[in-house]
Amino acid sequence: MTEPLLRVEDLTKEFAGRATFGDLVRRRAVPPVRAVDGISFELRAGEVLAIVGESGCGKTTTGNLLMGLLRPSSGRVMLEGSEVGALSGRGLQKLRRRVQMVFQDPYESLNPRMRVHEIVAEPLRVHRVATSPEDLAARVATALTSAGLTPTDAYVDRFAFEMSGGQRQRVVIAAALALEPTLLVADEPVSMLDVSIRAEILNLLSGLAREQGIGIVMITHDLSTVAAYADRIAVMYLGRIVEHGPTRQVLADPKHPYARALLSVVPIPDPSVRRTPVILSGETPDPSRIPPGCRFHPRCPLAFDRCPTVDPPLFDVGPDHQAACLLVEADEHKQ
Amino acid sequence: MSVLIEATAPPSVEPRGALRSFLRHRMGVIGAAMLALAVFVAVAAPVLAPYDPYANVRVSILDIYQAPSGEHFLGTDDGGKDVFSSLLYGARVSLIAGFAAAAIALFIGGLVGIVAGYRGGWVGSVLMRITDFFLVIPDLALQIVLVAIIGPSLGTIIFVIGILGWTTTARLVRSQALTVRERKYVMRARAIGAGDAHILRRHILPAVLPLMLANMVLVISLAILSESTLAFLGLGDPTVISWGQMLNFAFGRGAVSAGAWWALLPPGFAIVWVVLGTTLLGTALEDALNPRLKRHHLEAAGSDVARGRDVPTLDAPTLAMTGSSADASPILRVRDLSIEFDTTAGPKLAVEGVSFDLNRGETLGLVGESGCGKTTTVLGVLRLLPPGGRVVSGSVWFDGDDLLGIDGPALRSFRWTRLSLVFQGAMNALNPVRTVGDQIAEAVRLHAPGTTKREAADQVAELLERVGIGRRRANEYPHTYSGGMRQRAMIALALSCGPDVIVADEPTTALDVMIQAQILELLGGIARDFGTGIIIVTHDLGVVAQVCDRVVVMYGGGVAEENQAATLFREPQHPYTQELLQSFPDLAHPDRPLRGIPGSPPRIDDMPVGCRFAPRCPHAFDRCGAERPPDYPAAGGRAACFLLDPEERGS
Repeated sequence: MTEPLLRVEDLTKEFAGRATFGDLVRRRAVPPVRAVDGISFELRAGEVLAIVGESGCGKTTTGNLLMGLLRPSSGRVMLEGSEVGALSGRGLQKLRRRVQMVFQDPYESLNPRMRVHEIVAEPLRVHRVATSPEDLAARVATALTSAGLTPTDAYVDRFAFEMSGGQRQRVVIAAALALEPTLLVADEPVSMLDVSIRAEILNLLSGLAREQGIGIVMITHDLSTVAAYADRIAVMYLGRIVEHGPTRQVLADPKHPYARALLSVVPIPDPSVRRTPVILSGETPDPSRIPPGCRFHPRCPLAFDRCPTVDPPLFDVGPDHQAACLLVEADEHKQ
Repeated sequence: MSVLIEATAPPSVEPRGALRSFLRHRMGVIGAAMLALAVFVAVAAPVLAPYDPYANVRVSILDIYQAPSGEHFLGTDDGGKDVFSSLLYGARVSLIAGFAAAAIALFIGGLVGIVAGYRGGWVGSVLMRITDFFLVIPDLALQIVLVAIIGPSLGTIIFVIGILGWTTTARLVRSQALTVRERKYVMRARAIGAGDAHILRRHILPAVLPLMLANMVLVISLAILSESTLAFLGLGDPTVISWGQMLNFAFGRGAVSAGAWWALLPPGFAIVWVVLGTTLLGTALEDALNPRLKRHHLEAAGSDVARGRDVPTLDAPTLAMTGSSADASPILRVRDLSIEFDTTAGPKLAVEGVSFDLNRGETLGLVGESGCGKTTTVLGVLRLLPPGGRVVSGSVWFDGDDLLGIDGPALRSFRWTRLSLVFQGAMNALNPVRTVGDQIAEAVRLHAPGTTKREAADQVAELLERVGIGRRRANEYPHTYSGGMRQRAMIALALSCGPDVIVADEPTTALDVMIQAQILELLGGIARDFGTGIIIVTHDLGVVAQVCDRVVVMYGGGVAEENQAATLFREPQHPYTQELLQSFPDLAHPDRPLRGIPGSPPRIDDMPVGCRFAPRCPHAFDRCGAERPPDYPAAGGRAACFLLDPEERGS
């Protein structure tokens, strides 16, 4: 089997904990905050992986690790055979050409003083890719075309404020495409956009994966937006992947109680569809105080006696489908 | 919402907007003209001046302090020289000293500010402490000491003023650099792989320079004033003529005792002229370029209801209303509400002829894309329109009172006790230095002055438990709350006075799905338990499906469709509703292809003549482009679409 585009092995990221006044007085050691706690996955060229979870689950930290914006505490991120975290200086600079990021907020992530062609040309200038002004213009035009901003002439001289939210997000995507990356990390690419334009942007991204073979990692808290676009889904909770599998299977038959709850609260635009949403009480706990045993057990509606003591690994629950839950382990033994 | 953004956007993002807003400042234009005149005089002094003040001429005692005459417009000074000519030449020295010293100050200040703001860390702290140190030293005293030590000359004066005058610039530039450094577009540039040099050149400098330009003008005026002061105190270069020097000589050499006002007043007037000019210009530039000086729209005090508003009587237009509660009298009745905004092309209607009812205990969803007028409508109902927006016609009946007819204290008490607001940004609207319980207790006691502390505390605990926050957390500060809990606290605050109506503007937009589900369940429960009418403004049909009883779909500032939620989702009548439903991801039917609605909602300055949705509508025909459709009854509700016209159906 050939080397996948992206391979993440047992990736962990700890941040130094923030000491409170009490900690200082009592000279108490401050435990580190483990934002990402040993996650592994692979991504092939042209594939779309959705990392889904609530705020505080470590999905954004994961994105930053993939981008090389943070260094892992342990574990590795391998992109096309080279280790992302081990690079620095020139090597990192070269890596940046292959991984690009699409940010959440198209209203904030474009410099209001720059015109579209300057924004899209910026990465090309930083990496001195273009051989001539004509080449630069041609590359900008290609990127804009790929992002669906055609005819390009109508857009190159605009400022961000002269465009709608959807158009702005297309400009962000065009700037990310200018360097012809092999991997796109899209952190909540549509959450700031109107529902009516989300589909366009998601169609654009999945088209890029299908047609140009770009691998895409989509980070989101909203299962419904990725359902139709991701090939695989990884559900994260408190720094761990708790369920991972093909989109169809995860949506049709979620195995982990957290994935089930998350799925049950996704709004369905049809009041006649009767279902009982599993509304979990409380919020994701503080990652500096991860509960012992299964980290989900304090909020889990199905927790039983072993859950507070045993930290479940990912069990196979189907072809290419895993879940980290002791109930699943029990099922596995029954079979 | 985009209507609001367009109307209140800070002009700094738009260079042309900045120019326009500068020209609107008449004072700034006058200041610029005053300064231009001074510069012109300085440059053209050799041509304009009738005498050369630097030339050695023999004078007799009779030439000294001659009164103004045809030969000498402004008389002569103690040396028998023409005051008018000295005044013109003095402009050169004063302005050169001012400009040169300002250049030094701006260079140092800009450098310190950018390094301190962009680099941050300990370097930034050290630089800012140094800045603070310079800021507290009395400038004039230090200037006098330094000039006395180095020896008076024009160069010394420029240098001394320059190295002492940079502190305000440094602080201003630092704060701007600090803000821009944290902007998403700078983070994006970093993710691209851009280095510091690139970010400084392309992102930080362009943001900092306009502020420095405004600041420069003010620094110049200070420098000119300092130069005059030093020269007047005898610390100027005695071989050159500046306005301060002229004053110094006149005072020191008996102009006052000789009654020679003409030797004193003109240089004084010239100094005032230039300083006034630069100050006017600087203030105007600052206003135009510094977005932080913009007012928040909630501070708007001016009248937001047009004087000649038409007030339709309550019984005139009845709505094609349905539902079980239609007989009970609604708590809120909005009739034919039209709101206009001032735009560069004159006032334009942002909301036109909007009517809807809200019953007690009912949850009403106001849905549409951004820019469809949903937020503007509720702000109009709440009388919170930003400056430049006003209700031009229609009425808002609240339990029998016309909300648009009251003002001042009556309106204020109405707004909170009977009508509360929960909005998206409200999560940050809690005061960070007071406990949550304290803030809710304040609201309780403000509206029921007789309440004792203990009673208020009990009520707070009850309210917090109602919204799902444990009562012991009342004594905690907002920063210990998560986003979802702050939104709950805001709902508790809104509930504190037992309002009849709560308006929630995008109450869950920034929240995770799980928290969103919790908040919506809470709002639904409040409507059920307290009989409160709730309006939820959202672009998310999922939110509507989850909690709303009835839905008003808005498009282009008007109501496209209204119906019971269940019917609307099952049988959408208006093509816009149908398209909106099509673009919503539906996990119940994951195989249905998703498609967006091509194009975007019309801008308020470019509203179609006919049906507002016609340009994006897949079913549009001739009539849609020419006429605006009225409401037609459909599926038990109403929809504004010609497809529902019985005559069209017949053909």
